[in-house]
Amino acid sequence: MNNLSREQIFKKLESVENMPSIPATLDPLLRYLSLPVDQLETQKVVDMISHDKSLTVQCLHLANSPLFCRWQAVDSLRGAVVALGLGRMKEVALACSFMKMLPRQIGGIDPVIFWEHSLGCALVSRHLARKLSLPNAEKAYLAGLLHDFGIVANVVTLPKEFGDALTVAREREIPLHEAELEIMGITHADSGRILAERWRLAPELVAVIACHHTPELAVTDRSLVALVNIADLLCRMRNLGYGYPERRLVDLATEKGFGVLVEDCPTLGDFDWARLTFELDNYMFEVHRLVAALYRIQ
Amino acid sequence: MTISPAPEPAFESTSFAPNPHLLRIRDLLYQTAGTFHPDHRLRFLQDHCIRRMEELRITGLREYLGCLTAQHNQQTELTALLNEMIAGETCFFPNAPHLNALRNVILPRIVHEKSSLPVRRLKIWSAGCSTGEEPYSLAILLMEESKNLLADWSLEIQATDLDERSVAHARKGLYDQHATQNLTPQIRQQYFAEESGGLAISTQARSCVTIQRLNLLDDSPMSLIGDFDIIFCCNVLIYFDLAAKNRVLQQFLGSLLPNGYLFLGHTESLFGLNDGFRLVHLPSATAYRKQARVQERSHS
Repeated sequence: MNNLSREQIFKKLESVENMPSIPATLDPLLRYLSLPVDQLETQKVVDMISHDKSLTVQCLHLANSPLFCRWQAVDSLRGAVVALGLGRMKEVALACSFMKMLPRQIGGIDPVIFWEHSLGCALVSRHLARKLSLPNAEKAYLAGLLHDFGIVANVVTLPKEFGDALTVAREREIPLHEAELEIMGITHADSGRILAERWRLAPELVAVIACHHTPELAVTDRSLVALVNIADLLCRMRNLGYGYPERRLVDLATEKGFGVLVEDCPTLGDFDWARLTFELDNYMFEVHRLVAALYRIQ
Repeated sequence: MTISPAPEPAFESTSFAPNPHLLRIRDLLYQTAGTFHPDHRLRFLQDHCIRRMEELRITGLREYLGCLTAQHNQQTELTALLNEMIAGETCFFPNAPHLNALRNVILPRIVHEKSSLPVRRLKIWSAGCSTGEEPYSLAILLMEESKNLLADWSLEIQATDLDERSVAHARKGLYDQHATQNLTPQIRQQYFAEESGGLAISTQARSCVTIQRLNLLDDSPMSLIGDFDIIFCCNVLIYFDLAAKNRVLQQFLGSLLPNGYLFLGHTESLFGLNDGFRLVHLPSATAYRKQARVQERSHS
């Protein structure tokens, strides 16, 4: 099915002109938001966001979602920035950039479904990090949001090969990364690492993007990588995957990510996974609704 | 055979601040009964509570929480609320994700694991079968699979319930419109016959089902039941206290084959109850699997 060798695929991914870049309108904002939070000025962030209509509307939707700001009604951009917090603006801007990069029609994958999975994984990663009292739950959110960065690279750079892999995954109801490996010789984790390094994402994000299917191979930020690995798996088993059910049985205790996570969190075996699983259904409903609203504005 | 999801009541927005007393009732139900209402289903829990409050002629959730926790009345009111919650769930194919996971994941695994055995036999126990909708749904699913995956397999479904009237109803096998609402035209035509008063289950679907009265807390007849690949026990354990739950679960461990599966109601949990079972995730569903080398010891 695939005509390109693994080496040719890597070469293609590594060539600068093929890889997606940060949308020009958001680049200055992302650079500004890289400053420490205490050096950011709310009005300046509001002004910069207001140059981008879709980001403005996205901020308003997020600020009015119970997933982010419970029970507050927000009707101005400034109100939304304040409600969400300056510390979260980088996540929102990155997410918006991410959405802008995805073509409307991607060889068989519905961008809405892809985006739902990313947002679902972000929320579950954050939820799990809080429940397990792991440090920096907000870092877990961004890591979950961007974990499938490599899919963006694949759909833009290798649309035919990725489309073939997705077809195989869907027909056989197997995990997407297994089908990618079979068809392309690489996975979205490999291409994600290349793209993440090019975008100069934070090292912990690069680790998550590169190793979220092989957490045992992560050399840095192992617990964050493992956390996203588990969150990703739970989303895929709970109808927040890539638009098809994976025909499998998952025993978390035998998963490699669980083994890594338990090193940092010895109480993991006593954690109430059943309740967490039921709680995930909440996210499913809200994520569908939020992404539908966000995508209408792109 | 495709099992479509049962009609879902209109989803209510979570954009309302949950009543703190409702959240306490939710937690109480999870701690005592083991059934959980996620946020997006809190409106349904509230509706169930309101119906009980109307019955009791009280007006606030705070007061109703008091009823649920009052020493003298606790078990009675909890049972009444649980009855309210599961009323209407007794129908054919009530939980599509469970049954799809059974068909697409669990059955192929069992067939694979038992493929080298001389006798190809699949045994399922529907524990707390109520009026028979669950065991007959399972029978229909297995019959459909016997066209391919389960061809040449011996299929046995043991259905038990404590209540004599329910057992009699199950044996009679006549069902009204509510119970049969999820049937596809093909299933309806192939496995049911029109009779006055509803739809009667066919002889074919009955052929692999045995129905008997059994008290899950009565140890002596329980010990005679065994070698099951799968147990379904939906919305039954929620009525038992902790000690009784553990007793029944220990019996289930003894009745299941190694690596056998236990399916509970779709929001029921065994958290903290018995380490002989381990939670497994299936597509949009969960189940429990008996640990292969579990010691079948008392777990009180």
